[in-house]
Amino acid sequence: MRNETDKELQSFFDQLKENDREIQIPAFPEPAKQSSINWWIPIGIAASLTLGFFLLPQNKKDLNPPAEVIIITLEKDENNNQQILIEEKTYLETWESPTSSLLTEY
Amino acid sequence: MKKHWLETILKELHSEAYHWSRQCCSFDDDRAKDVLQLVYLKILEGKAVYKEKSQVKTWLFSVIRFTAYEEIKKEGKNSSLDQLPDMAYEDDPPENDSHEALLQALPDRQKEVLLMVFYHDMTLEQCAEVMNLHIGTIRTHYDRGKKKLKEWIEKTRIEK
Repeated sequence: MRNETDKELQSFFDQLKENDREIQIPAFPEPAKQSSINWWIPIGIAASLTLGFFLLPQNKKDLNPPAEVIIITLEKDENNNQQILIEEKTYLETWESPTSSLLTEY
Repeated sequence: MKKHWLETILKELHSEAYHWSRQCCSFDDDRAKDVLQLVYLKILEGKAVYKEKSQVKTWLFSVIRFTAYEEIKKEGKNSSLDQLPDMAYEDDPPENDSHEALLQALPDRQKEVLLMVFYHDMTLEQCAEVMNLHIGTIRTHYDRGKKKLKEWIEKTRIEK
């Protein structure tokens, strides 16, 4: 319980409070709101992927082999004369396994 | 979650915090604003951490008081307000009899305890926490401050 002195002092401080109401209080500094997800990271990844897609060398091989192949060979005939032979073959007929030499040579 | 909660409470206490900052800065508005900015910065940067050992208000007042003294110390106006002996103060009231002038004429610890109790409705225990002093010491400052301020209030009333 407060005595007379306290009441008198309380009145003094109440007056001080009253005077302080005229003081302009600065606004509370609002911190810059940060979103919970940092969107720069997924945007960066997406941009890198897109750029990579465009910059990758387009190595699409033509899977359709030519229908016909012209083979030009130089051969010697019975008289030991060289002659040029031109043959027209389908692509499959001319295909040779890259390891066929192993079968013949060993 | 805790950060958001603390921000909400700080917002609620902002007005009171500003007045306390002003009172710790010898009623200097500009310095009070700077001090409060520094306090919020300390809290934001995690240099001042609320550990839930006391009320937020008590903790905030403590940070403000400490920061205000740091700033005053930097300016070299007073080496340390805490170290000034009470004996250095005169018994006569100041010529300027405004509320602020009367309070300013009191020794700083007495002024602070009286302001916290009568202006900010805090208990002596809370004052002890803010000022990091023993409750007995706070009671001494409280009694001396009350006695002196009452004398001055009466004197200035008679002189008028």
